[in-house]
Amino acid sequence: MSEVIVVTSGKGGVGKSTTTANLGVGLAMRGKKVVLIDTDTGLRNLDLLLGLENRIMYDLVDVIDGRVEIKKALVRHKKYENLQLLPTSQVKDKSAVNPADLMALCDELRKEYDYVIIDCPAGIEQGFQTAIAGADTAIVVTMPEVSAVRDADKIIGELGRSEKDNIKLIINRIRPAMVDSGEMMDMDDINDILAIKCIGQVPDDIKVVTSANRGEPVVGDSDSQAGKAYENIVGRLLGEDIPFMEFEKEGFFKRLKKAFKF
Amino acid sequence: MSRDLVTIKGGKDGFRLLVDSSASMEEIEAEIKKKLDANPGFFPEGTKFELEVADLDRSVKKGIGQILSQHGLGVELSARKEAPAKPKEQPQPVSQAAIQHDGNVEAQEMTVVDHTIRGGEEVTSQGSVLIMGNVNPGAQIIAGGSIDIRGTCRGMVHAGAWGDTSAVVIADRLMPTQIRIANMIARSPDIMEKNNFAERASIKDGQIIIEPIER
Repeated sequence: MSEVIVVTSGKGGVGKSTTTANLGVGLAMRGKKVVLIDTDTGLRNLDLLLGLENRIMYDLVDVIDGRVEIKKALVRHKKYENLQLLPTSQVKDKSAVNPADLMALCDELRKEYDYVIIDCPAGIEQGFQTAIAGADTAIVVTMPEVSAVRDADKIIGELGRSEKDNIKLIINRIRPAMVDSGEMMDMDDINDILAIKCIGQVPDDIKVVTSANRGEPVVGDSDSQAGKAYENIVGRLLGEDIPFMEFEKEGFFKRLKKAFKF
Repeated sequence: MSRDLVTIKGGKDGFRLLVDSSASMEEIEAEIKKKLDANPGFFPEGTKFELEVADLDRSVKKGIGQILSQHGLGVELSARKEAPAKPKEQPQPVSQAAIQHDGNVEAQEMTVVDHTIRGGEEVTSQGSVLIMGNVNPGAQIIAGGSIDIRGTCRGMVHAGAWGDTSAVVIADRLMPTQIRIANMIARSPDIMEKNNFAERASIKDGQIIIEPIER
C-alpha cells in the first residue's frame, strides 16, 4: 500500500521543502522506499537541502517530455539507498508540467515506492494545481503567524474544492518563548481556525538552517528539537500514537549552562 | 440546478414542504428521507411542515405524514391558494410576518451550509443563511435575510444586504472583522476579546448593537 503525499502551504518560506526533505529522510531511515518529487519548476531547491545538486543528470521536465525514463532521472540519496529524488528543471517554468502528466507519473511511481512525497510550489496557481493532482494525502505546513495561517486556510479550501479530503497540518517554526509570552499565536488558536488534524509541531531551530546548508536534513539529529519533532511526525505518518512534545525553553539557567558549557 | 421533487423552504413562520405532484409515492418518500438524513438533528423534534401541493392524492399526503412522524416531525396541510379542491378546511392564519412586511409573505429559500467557510470563500443568498461550522477570516457571507452561524464567526458578514434592517447576525462566538446589516457597517475593535457565549447583532436606534443571547 503506497501513499502519495503533497506538502503544501500557500505562503512561501514556511518550510515546505524542509518538511519534504525531513519526512523523506525520516521515512527512509525507517526502511521505507521513498521518492521525493520537486515540482517547484524554475525555483528548485529540494536537491540543495538533500545535498544532491551535483548528482542531477535529468529532471522532471525531461521525464514528462519523454526524453528519458523515470529511472534515469531519479537521484539516489548518498546515505539512504531507498530514498530517491526526482528534481525539477531550473530553467523551465511551471507551464512545462500539467496536472495530468504528474498524475500519470505518480501512478507509475506508486507501483514501486511506499511513499511518493511531492514538494509543492508556493501560491495557488497552476503549479499548485499540478502538484496536488495525483496526491492521496495533503500535508499543509503553516507557522504561527497571521498571514501564514490565513494562507493555509485558503489552501485547505482549495484542496477541498479539488476533492482532496485527507488533509493534515504541521505547524512549523514555533518559538515557544514567544508563544508563552503571548507574542505568537498559540497552537489552540491555530487549530481552532484551521480545524484539521495536526500531526506535528516543530520548533524554530537554528540547526535546521545549518543542516540545510550542509545538505543533511535535521531529522536524524537527536540533539535538535526540530529533528525530534520531525521524527515524531514520521512516526505519526506510520500510524504510531505519539504525544506532542513539550518544548524546552531557553530559560536563564539554560543559557547560563550553555555559557559555561556544562 | 435541476428541479427537486421535494423542496424544503424556510420562511418566517416555519418550514414549507413543496412536492412535485407528478412524482410517485416511492420517489417522494426517498427524497424526503434523503433530505432529512442529510442533516440529522437539524429540524428539532416536533417541527411542523406546511404541505403545499396542487393536487396531491390523499394517500400520498397520508404517506408524507407518516414519513415525517417517523422522524418526529409533523405536517400541516396548507390552506393556500393551490388547494382549490378543498375550500377552506382551516381558517387562513394571519401571520405576524405578513403584517410587518407589507403583505410580502413570499418565503425565501434558506441557504444551509454544513461546513466551515474558509478564507477566500463567499456565500451569497437572497434569503437567510445558516452556517453549521466556522466562518474564517477572509470569508464573506452575504444574505438578504439573517445569518446564523453555529460556530465561530471571524469573517465578514452582511445580513439584510438588500435593505432589510430587521435582519440579524447570530453566532456562537461573534468576532467578525466587520458586521454589516442593511446599509450600516460596524467594524471589530482592534483588540478582539474572546467570549464564550452566543451573541446577536441587530440594528437598534439607528446603530448596530451586539448583545449576548441564550441558545
